[in-house]
Amino acid sequence: LTPGEIRERLAELRQAGAELRQRPARRTLDALAQVLEGWSDAGSSWRRELEAELPGATGFSPETVREGLRLGLAHWKGEALRALAAREIGPLERPDAAQQPIIAGFDATAVLLAGSIPMPSLLALVAPLLLRSSVLAKSASRDPVTPRLVARSIAEVDAELGRCIEVVAFPGEDDERMGALLEASCIVASGSDETVASVRARAAPSQRLVTYGHRLSVAALGAAATASSVLEDTARRLALDVALWDQLGCLSPIAVYVEGEAAADAASEALASALAEVERRMPRGAIEPQAASLISHERARAELRAAAGEPVRLHASDGSAWTVVREAHREVLPAPLHRFVRVAPVADGAQLLNALAPLARHLAAVALDGFGSATPRLARDLAHLGASRICPPGTLQAPPMGWHHDGKGVLTPLARFADLELTP
Amino acid sequence: VSRAELDRAILEWMREPLWSEDEERFDALAGALFAHQFECCLPYRRFCERRAATPVGAGGWRAIPPVPTGAFKELSLRCFPAERGIHTFRTSGTSTSRRGELHLDTLELYEASLLASFRRFLLPDLSPEHPQATILVLAASPAEARDSSLSHMFGVAIRELGAEGSRFFVEGDQLLGEDLLRALETAPEGHPLLLCGTAFAFVHLLDALEQSDARLSLPATARIMETGGFKGRSRVLPRPALYLALEERLGVPLERIVNQYGMTELGSQFYDTVLCEPAAPRRKLGPPWTRVRIVDPETGQDAAPDSVGTIVVYDLANTGSVLAIQTADLGRRVEDGFEVLGREPGAEARGCSIAADELLAGAGA
Repeated sequence: LTPGEIRERLAELRQAGAELRQRPARRTLDALAQVLEGWSDAGSSWRRELEAELPGATGFSPETVREGLRLGLAHWKGEALRALAAREIGPLERPDAAQQPIIAGFDATAVLLAGSIPMPSLLALVAPLLLRSSVLAKSASRDPVTPRLVARSIAEVDAELGRCIEVVAFPGEDDERMGALLEASCIVASGSDETVASVRARAAPSQRLVTYGHRLSVAALGAAATASSVLEDTARRLALDVALWDQLGCLSPIAVYVEGEAAADAASEALASALAEVERRMPRGAIEPQAASLISHERARAELRAAAGEPVRLHASDGSAWTVVREAHREVLPAPLHRFVRVAPVADGAQLLNALAPLARHLAAVALDGFGSATPRLARDLAHLGASRICPPGTLQAPPMGWHHDGKGVLTPLARFADLELTP
Repeated sequence: VSRAELDRAILEWMREPLWSEDEERFDALAGALFAHQFECCLPYRRFCERRAATPVGAGGWRAIPPVPTGAFKELSLRCFPAERGIHTFRTSGTSTSRRGELHLDTLELYEASLLASFRRFLLPDLSPEHPQATILVLAASPAEARDSSLSHMFGVAIRELGAEGSRFFVEGDQLLGEDLLRALETAPEGHPLLLCGTAFAFVHLLDALEQSDARLSLPATARIMETGGFKGRSRVLPRPALYLALEERLGVPLERIVNQYGMTELGSQFYDTVLCEPAAPRRKLGPPWTRVRIVDPETGQDAAPDSVGTIVVYDLANTGSVLAIQTADLGRRVEDGFEVLGREPGAEARGCSIAADELLAGAGA
């Protein structure tokens, strides 16, 4: 599409949105709930198509895609969407409507998608529609498949709703097309700090801008999670968190902090075994030379630290498929991703918080286990530090649909609220 | 073989007026230097032993285990007692990030290596008639940036090869734009002129020229050497765009713009061949006391021809540290040399996890 054609599509979408807002909100919610029912059904034609196409487009192995979708979408059913809507915007039909705030989406929402993990894209496209805002989405260069299939699934369920979504593709540095896209009154942008900053610089103050930056996650294991009776299970769950989406998601843990030195040794060994096992049934996808080079570099660095007498141990596959480095210190070191995880000892919760302080600005989730009665306090402290999700190991890649990603609501940032203070 | 003997033999090679690619000589010196470093640097020795590499092993210089540049941030990789150190070069970095350190007990090899390379790759037209060049440097002086190997390099180049008027044009992180423009405008015709500095300083110069809408036409004897990247800088200009802008604003043709590939952890540097072999394809070459391998990061073996791999450098100038260095850069073989590959501009991340370097920019390591 040319920039002019993007503007034309935006005008058509605004018109389609206006028509959509003439019909009851309930119909749109029902249709989107039905769409999600389809996506959460592993046997649906949409899921089968996504599972078939995504590996080729993104580089993830078919097994990783299948398992990632199974876990990620298992609870993203129609009911979850209804519950989310009820929580964030209340009942759609209200008996005393005259005294309730009016909650509506913008006439059109531009959605700039990022990365190659399908669930965030699915939700980013559905959320504005639920508020009856049309969506003009720019697909990420790394995943042209998901938005196209999601748009089609919506049109199949509800043709009128289908006319309210359009997916376009162009390089992010194409200023003219980006300018046309960013004329929408609401903009949702995901991506690196640099991408988000460049969109922010272009948005007018009158536009609603909702941004999601790149984030990272970690795990923290207290003594009860590394006891010999449970260690294997803990490691198996953590390995799944690391391995899914090849550790490229903001919910993928890049480091595991373990209470106690001996426990850190044991946990790193157990995690290495678990990652080796995961690799057999769910191989990591192909990676780019830059990523392989960084893994090789960081492995060699770890070996040298070990050679210099530090209590560092490298556990690694023959190729670059997985790596566990048992670190001596809690210091932040490069995170090569692609199933490369560091395990560092902490003495207690206070040390954990200190270790995470430098990461606070970018922290998404913490998988927390084994801290017993200290858990509620520690979870609160982690939330205050910056984490927007505290959950058990093994569930990092299955966030609830209503997770406050980056500490925000799912629907409210996309909504316009109007308060009615009418005298009777 | 003692360290002093090794230094002597390598210096002798560096000071020979004609370069010869002598594989046997390189292999013998690399083997002897590896044996010395294996003996004197305990962490490196243990690292090699973990990889079953010992000085008596077969395989020649290619079998010498390289250490990653990142290791210089956390370990003192030196082959002499700390008290014998006379200088330390540090990698650039922010106040919160760790900086790599190269400890030196002599600067003689570093300086001999850089001067030979300057003559060969940047100033091949020096002659008895013009034994020196006007060297204008867009970087801080060694007095201001004592631990910068780059500043030291430029300082030595000016000291040994610089004609009158050669000087530094960055002070307190500011480009002295007006002084530099004056120096460029008054550069003598028919005399070798070298404008060199960091890529980012050249972007500053271009900004200044653009602001005043100035276009210079430097003499035909002018050439540019730029080095370094844009890490940690707010503005990034891809190299082809930088070169086109330099050509347009300074009148220096592309074939007289040279990129230098070097790093704090190395005693020698690599240069584009455009000045020393103008008829041949642009590629990077280093002096004969260096070797470069392009290594498949998955296997650690040489990458297939034309394939992208990690650049691993073997540099005999590194007598006091470790001669084999695994860089963090990707490259590809080009004929007898190589090219360095940057990240694709505009390449989007595959995931939404923060990239390692972004993380470190925020957290420091």
